[in-house]
Amino acid sequence: MKSLFPSGRTLGLLAVLVPLLALFIYVGLRSGPLAPVAVTLTTVESRAITPALFGIGTVEARYTYNIGPTQAGRIKYLDVHVGDWVKAGQVLGEMEPVDLDDRVRSQEFAYRRAEAALREAEARQAYAQSQARRYEQLLPARLASEEAVATRRQELQIANAALSAAREDLSRARSDRDALVAQRSNLRLIAPADGVIAVRDADPGTTMVAGQSVVEIIDPTSLWVNVRFDQISALGLASGLSAHVVLRSREGAALQGRVLRIEPKADVVTEEMLAKVVFDVMPQPLPPVGELAEVTIDLRELASAPVIPNAAIRRNGGKAGVWRIADGALSFTPITLGASDLHGHVQVLGGLEAGDQVVLYSEKALATHSRIHVVERIAGVAP
Amino acid sequence: MISLAGRDILHSWGKFVFTGIGLGLLIGVTLVMAGVYRGMVDDGKALLDNSGADLWVVQKDTLGPYAESSSLNDDIYRGVLAMPGVLRAANVTYLTMQVRKGGHDVRAMVVGIAPGKIGITPGWPPYLVAGRQMTRGHYEAVADIATGFALGERIQIRRNTFTVVGLTRRMVSSSGDPMIFIALKDAQEAQFLKDNDAIWQSRRRTEANPAFNRPSVPGLLDAVIASQSSNAFVNAVLVTLEPGHAADEVAESIRRWKRLTVYTRAQMEDILVGKLIASSAKQIAMFLVILAFVSAAIVAFIIYTLTMDKIREIAVLKLIGTRNRTIAAMILQQALALGVIGFVVGKITATYAAPLFPKYVLLVPADSIAGFVAVLLICVLSSIIAIRMALKVDPAEAIGG
Amino acid sequence: MRGKGIRIEGLKKRYGTGDTAVDALKGVDMQVAPGEVVGLIGPSGSGKSTLLKCLGAVIDPTAGRMTLGDEVIFDDGWKVRDLRALRRDKIGFVFQAPYLIPFLDVIDNVALLPMLAGVPNAEARQHALDLLVALDVQHRAKAMPSQLSGGEQQRVAIARGLVNRPPVILADEPTAPLDSERAMAVIRILNDMARKYETAIIVVTHDEKIIPTFKRIYHIRDGVTFEEAGEGRAL
Repeated sequence: MKSLFPSGRTLGLLAVLVPLLALFIYVGLRSGPLAPVAVTLTTVESRAITPALFGIGTVEARYTYNIGPTQAGRIKYLDVHVGDWVKAGQVLGEMEPVDLDDRVRSQEFAYRRAEAALREAEARQAYAQSQARRYEQLLPARLASEEAVATRRQELQIANAALSAAREDLSRARSDRDALVAQRSNLRLIAPADGVIAVRDADPGTTMVAGQSVVEIIDPTSLWVNVRFDQISALGLASGLSAHVVLRSREGAALQGRVLRIEPKADVVTEEMLAKVVFDVMPQPLPPVGELAEVTIDLRELASAPVIPNAAIRRNGGKAGVWRIADGALSFTPITLGASDLHGHVQVLGGLEAGDQVVLYSEKALATHSRIHVVERIAGVAP
Repeated sequence: MISLAGRDILHSWGKFVFTGIGLGLLIGVTLVMAGVYRGMVDDGKALLDNSGADLWVVQKDTLGPYAESSSLNDDIYRGVLAMPGVLRAANVTYLTMQVRKGGHDVRAMVVGIAPGKIGITPGWPPYLVAGRQMTRGHYEAVADIATGFALGERIQIRRNTFTVVGLTRRMVSSSGDPMIFIALKDAQEAQFLKDNDAIWQSRRRTEANPAFNRPSVPGLLDAVIASQSSNAFVNAVLVTLEPGHAADEVAESIRRWKRLTVYTRAQMEDILVGKLIASSAKQIAMFLVILAFVSAAIVAFIIYTLTMDKIREIAVLKLIGTRNRTIAAMILQQALALGVIGFVVGKITATYAAPLFPKYVLLVPADSIAGFVAVLLICVLSSIIAIRMALKVDPAEAIGG
Repeated sequence: MRGKGIRIEGLKKRYGTGDTAVDALKGVDMQVAPGEVVGLIGPSGSGKSTLLKCLGAVIDPTAGRMTLGDEVIFDDGWKVRDLRALRRDKIGFVFQAPYLIPFLDVIDNVALLPMLAGVPNAEARQHALDLLVALDVQHRAKAMPSQLSGGEQQRVAIARGLVNRPPVILADEPTAPLDSERAMAVIRILNDMARKYETAIIVVTHDEKIIPTFKRIYHIRDGVTFEEAGEGRAL
């Protein structure tokens, strides 16, 4: 009779204990390792994707001129500053000539001296010639001995030689002088092309060694981007492809350009391919040389194929594949991957058909025996 | 047969249940404590699982890359790749640092992952909860959800801004810091190019060094600076094995021929669990022991008090001839019931409290079962005092003389 | 077996040893037949409580003999092995305060002993209910002890004392907390029960109201009993 009609106390106790127990069982099964794994699903779609390449590079000038002296010396004056526009042929500055002027003058005198020596040789040769002629006329009349005539002829030959020596001497003196003059004029630093001064490395009074650059001129209209693409993801890179360039200082504004050329030599250390991308329209103001740029290169659109998001790709037993849901059961399907685009879509070349259901996101790593629980969104992810 | 314990509980169930709930909270704390330890171990295992590697190649004679710093040239992986039995080898860098977003920063482990095929290249996050894997070679990041970052957010790692494109879950370092995956090259740069001021200062130091800044050798300074500001080092090479090759053999051959230190998964677990978190684990073990004692003391006290409240009735029971066994069973059953309620409440509390903890708390069913057994054991032990008390009661007391 | 009631001869009890030894009982003789209700009267310190405890087989006497029915309980230091089982089966207790188990309702308080002994619950409760009917408290069968009045509690306590049909019931000041009318009712019940169940009932009391009801009275003073005929006043 008692057990048939539980008292109020029993009911009260049950009211506390039963929910507690129910909660306990729920907690035991729904949390911790026994809980089903929340997953979201996606359907394999057949669609076209446009693969793209992504690389970063720096803005560089195609033509850079380093202007400096050809021999050691001190800068006498330098009239240009960074940012100045210069024209081809413009004198930018000059090196201190030191003793060069004196040496030019010395050569001038040496030249004159050679001229004088030439004149002397000419005079001697004229005299020797006339002497030789006279003795040759006297010989038939037996007025001069054979010996005297031979002497005069020899003297003439010597005078001829002395004359040509003097002539060559003169030429040498002229060349020497010209060389010094040329050197003298080479001390001037002259712009080889139109451009803008990018770097001014030294100021007047600085002593420079031969080959050291005093100013650097760049041709700003020839700016391009030297882009590096990781070799792994550089398939399809070719010259002529269109490119979007985002400069670090102008984030959000993509500039149009195209691939000018692929460098035949890749970087061995960084395992990158190098390419030059030119702007279709030079951005204004001009970006500074050395600015970082992100370059996206669009490749040809590919034909439709089954496509999955790359987040669905999982590894199981050393193979890439996806967790496929068929008839509510979970199974790992190895797949062959094809091209992908920058939005994370990957072509599946084999292993999946369009319309297959695969796991996209999961709360934990999955295994074949995992219990799953399909949700719209994994908990904690903002909508 | 009548259950005296049950009837007593039924009679004063309010007191009993609330005592049980109080005890439950204490047991909950104990379970959470065990969960903290399991969480730490699991953090370490998650780190190893998520790296997807079978072998870790690190700097010679270091415990790297997690327990000790390790530095390798980034082209070593090519040599490793050529070893027999190696399927894939990928560079990886790990750097724990503050990652900024707007005004605040988050402590995170930045992982630099080598480019490669998604899904098979070790080091990549094995699964996501939102977004996508990285597709660009630079300036994209996949962050763990524990960082609090959301998809599309721009975060600052050292000098560069990264866009969060994907979110992961349970990708943590061995100390529980959430991971942020970025491209290897970005990570190498982040490790080396700390900030612009540092770069400037380093450049100026180099310039001030007459050995590098020689007027007679134009271009030397630039070359030196360029070589100084590039980083060709990584922290480890993650290796996956070809099927049919034993990890130990491959590890041994890399050790022998490449003169590097190599760890297998088992060794790595040993390092993480045995060395990295050993002292924390002991700390927690101490706490567990203390909590167990405290729980035992409290259970003993509660049971004792409950018994003392009934001492008169027990005397009557004895006087009218109730067996000792019956009385002991009553006390023991009450203690066990209290333990069961406490455990149930504790388990529920622990489960709901666990996600609130900043670090991962993993409640393992085996721990719960062990905890249950321990609770019952503690209850049995603590009821012994009360039972002794009850058995010592003189039935004559009931006769008032 | 029931025919013999309880009998004690030369019962002695000494507490302590040596110089500090106290002789609480110095040779008590007593005999109560089945169906008889006798009074036991004595001032404090007379050894009344000690006698009661010996009678209740809670403590064992130092010397003397006690027989319950035809079973010898104590005999000069020898005693039955399981006093508690003896108490359970052979002795019913009714106390000054009823000492009901507060967490059991009335019927289970009464049925507790048989239930613990393994009698099926329903049977034990039926038996208990019969006793409650006999004691006229069956209407409170489902109540908790705390909900009962003093008289009701005492009647339930008597029912509990009777539940095992013991040959002897010891009632220790059963009427102390009750007014005279209720006290008389309790005594009436005890007499009825003694007759009905052929139980020897010893009532320890100093309640002047009820002393005249006993036919026989044992006085105890300084550890020695004296028997005296009571008034045996009709109830």
